[in-house]
Amino acid sequence: MLFKLDSFTLIGIDAIKVSVEVHISRGLPEFIIVGLPGKAVNESRQRVRSAIINSGFDFPVKKIIVNLSPADIKKDGSYYDLPIALSILTASEQIRCGIFNESCFIGELSLDGSINPVKGLISMAEKARDMEKKFFFVPYEIANQASFISGVSIVACKSLVETVKVLAGGEQIEKFICKDKEKNISNRNNRYNFDLKDVKGQLKAKRALEIAVSGRHNIMLIGPPGSGKTMLAQRAVSIMPDLNLEECIEVTKIYSLYEKYVNHLIQERPFRNPHHTISRVGLVGGGINPRPGEISLAHKGLLFLDEFSQFPKNFIEDLRQPLENKAVIITRNHLSYSFPCNFMLIVATNPCYCGYFGDEGRRCICSLREVRKFWKKISGPIIDRIDMRVTVARLKESSFIKTECGESSNQIKNRIKKCINMQNERFKGKNVSYNSEIGINIINEWLKNNKNIRDLIYTISRKYNLTARGMVSILKVSRTIADLEESENIKDCHIIEAVHYRVGSNNPDSSICI
Amino acid sequence: MKNTNGKKILYILVEKKVKPARFIEIYRKNYGDINKTLDYFYKYKSLKLEYKTNEEDHIDFNHSNNCYQKVVDFILKNEVGLLDIGENSYPDILRQIYLPPPLLFFRGNKIKKAQFSIAIVGSRKCTAYGREVAGYISRNLSEIGITVVSGLAVGIDSYAHKAALEGKGGSIGVLGCGIDIIYPPENKYLYEEILSNGSIITEFLPKTPPLKNNFPVRNRIISGLCRGVVVIEAGEKSGAIITCEMALQQNREVFAIPGNVFNPMSRGCHKLIKSGAKLVESIDDILEEFSQYSEGILKLCGNSSYINNQQANDKRGANLDNNELKVYEFIGYNPKSVEEIVKYSKIEVKEVLRILTSLEIKQLIKEDSFNKYSRLF
Repeated sequence: MLFKLDSFTLIGIDAIKVSVEVHISRGLPEFIIVGLPGKAVNESRQRVRSAIINSGFDFPVKKIIVNLSPADIKKDGSYYDLPIALSILTASEQIRCGIFNESCFIGELSLDGSINPVKGLISMAEKARDMEKKFFFVPYEIANQASFISGVSIVACKSLVETVKVLAGGEQIEKFICKDKEKNISNRNNRYNFDLKDVKGQLKAKRALEIAVSGRHNIMLIGPPGSGKTMLAQRAVSIMPDLNLEECIEVTKIYSLYEKYVNHLIQERPFRNPHHTISRVGLVGGGINPRPGEISLAHKGLLFLDEFSQFPKNFIEDLRQPLENKAVIITRNHLSYSFPCNFMLIVATNPCYCGYFGDEGRRCICSLREVRKFWKKISGPIIDRIDMRVTVARLKESSFIKTECGESSNQIKNRIKKCINMQNERFKGKNVSYNSEIGINIINEWLKNNKNIRDLIYTISRKYNLTARGMVSILKVSRTIADLEESENIKDCHIIEAVHYRVGSNNPDSSICI
Repeated sequence: MKNTNGKKILYILVEKKVKPARFIEIYRKNYGDINKTLDYFYKYKSLKLEYKTNEEDHIDFNHSNNCYQKVVDFILKNEVGLLDIGENSYPDILRQIYLPPPLLFFRGNKIKKAQFSIAIVGSRKCTAYGREVAGYISRNLSEIGITVVSGLAVGIDSYAHKAALEGKGGSIGVLGCGIDIIYPPENKYLYEEILSNGSIITEFLPKTPPLKNNFPVRNRIISGLCRGVVVIEAGEKSGAIITCEMALQQNREVFAIPGNVFNPMSRGCHKLIKSGAKLVESIDDILEEFSQYSEGILKLCGNSSYINNQQANDKRGANLDNNELKVYEFIGYNPKSVEEIVKYSKIEVKEVLRILTSLEIKQLIKEDSFNKYSRLF
């Protein structure tokens, strides 16, 4: 007898439909899976057999052929245990059910018949909704992950027996539907464990972070060891505006691919801090079955590269295209996998090998050539995409003890929200959403009617020996500063402040002159 | 090439492998008669066997694999001048040192014209303070017509050169390598700039690499060319200190600029001051030592009045607005951090940052170390 039901497989972060077809015929007892099964899928024969028997059903002693269609896409993972088991039970007429056509299934079976979590659930739920299915049967443990997808009922079952009961009508299906308890994303204010007010002093760096987050400018923190670069970067997520539902789902999609046990909708902005020994695949994504890399895991959040100078140069070059396109396309096994990676980049570095170049208290022991070599290693096309460079000095011992706090993250966040709204309004209908993404043509428009500004720019670029690219960065940043003040036009003072985040007489990047 | 004596000396040094010290010895024995000296050397065919190596023979011309003809071709092609010890325009003061170079390669004519020179030496890794002082002293010296001599290295040297080129005194750079080698490479543009109002000299043959040993040798020419040596920021053991030792041996004045007590780069200078070097705050302190000349210097330079810049300094900051003035006055000469400025002035952070940048653009303050600002001199 023939039976067929729907399940999914993943390509990148997107799910596609897979039909699980089972044919039970007379012949020598046999259990075959076809349709390019991977190792995990092939092994599912053993799991399914044991699970069926241990759940109190009969495993048919016949020739069983399972086909996973489309048969030309490679399938891997333990997604199909539950659909195969159910198909076999139905094909051997052990259960009967009317809702198979409007349901789809996913889940890994354990030998005792309980259902274990799988990856990528939320993408499949979305696909189920697009296919206009009514029910989606998912592993109980991670059902909450998918519960925010409206339009399809998420049925969470703990075991095969439970699933069969629900399907056969022994139990009411409503009882198992995962209720969207928190349909509205909670508006908790303290989503993160840390707050920008924990950072003492560093007024310049804090202000710079505020501007950077507002205009989504990539930023580089330069400072000696122990000056608080990492602390500042970590707290940058706490001043980013909250994710909306769509964004939450997008982020959760990526994370559900990365780890199995994502039992909730991810509502925090991700902060990824990969170590510099990371592999290329780990950073960008890839592998035999492509998985998202750190840049995708930082989607909608922050990618923080500490000790930037230690990252291999070619890895950093790899970031160029994703930074431009906000997505990375990986081609493996004749398929292209696209992972979104719309992140803000914060990099931190010491100013030289020993770390104390430009520090007040401790003397740098690098030779000038070494300092220059250090910066040569970093500079390059990627550094052009970093609009702001901010020096972070070490605090004096006395200032640690002081109890006075600065502004809390929430206060700053409110200002940033306003600023981002302003940008969205301005760029409505255009292909950009943040000041950092604008091109030279838009900037020229701003400058057209403002001779004062042009004169100022001329003076500044001569004084600081700036390149054209440097000037463009300064203009972008000054636009953001103007937005923060809700000013219609860029004014002198905005540009002057922006200069502060680009140069300094001690900036080792320009001509070194200590 | 006009300088036939120069060529002859070159021939003796390169082809006959006579060590410079030997040459000077004979030159002195002949009471400074260059023709007699040359005759002496031309008499012998193989001088090599005639004498044993002297300790002072520290210049090894064999590094460069040069033969006489190659060097002559090179200097003809690249318009490099030869200045031999017998020539009138060879600086007298240099001729008097213990071991003057018999032959100098030079570009730019300043070396023949410089009347009164002061050397400025210091660390390659100077601080912002050192940078300012180097520019300040050097500019003022050059303005009244004194030539500033230095070693064309990075750091203090290059700031001294740059500032000196602005005045009429000009600048002389003494190399520790062949004249065709630009070392360090980052001073490429400085080389060309110096030729506009100064000269570059070396006693090393073309193509001599900048070897470690060359520099102390070179330093004796720096101090030898000058009446006094000003040290700005030197570590306890550094090239600048070596130059000072040379200067003392050559009976030159040693001046030192005081620095921050906590800064290791001031150690050398302070040590010099402790052992009797003159502390210098402005070029007045330098000129004072040469009071017997100073009128002469000023006459030579055709300039009898120069303004003390320090007085002019106090007038700066006149057209600042209230907040700017408040910040400027608070900053003073000791570095202040952004946090301190904000706390003192009670102005918003962003406003402070703007003020700092605009003061910097107006050349009133500078960033000393990360996020610390102090006034410019």
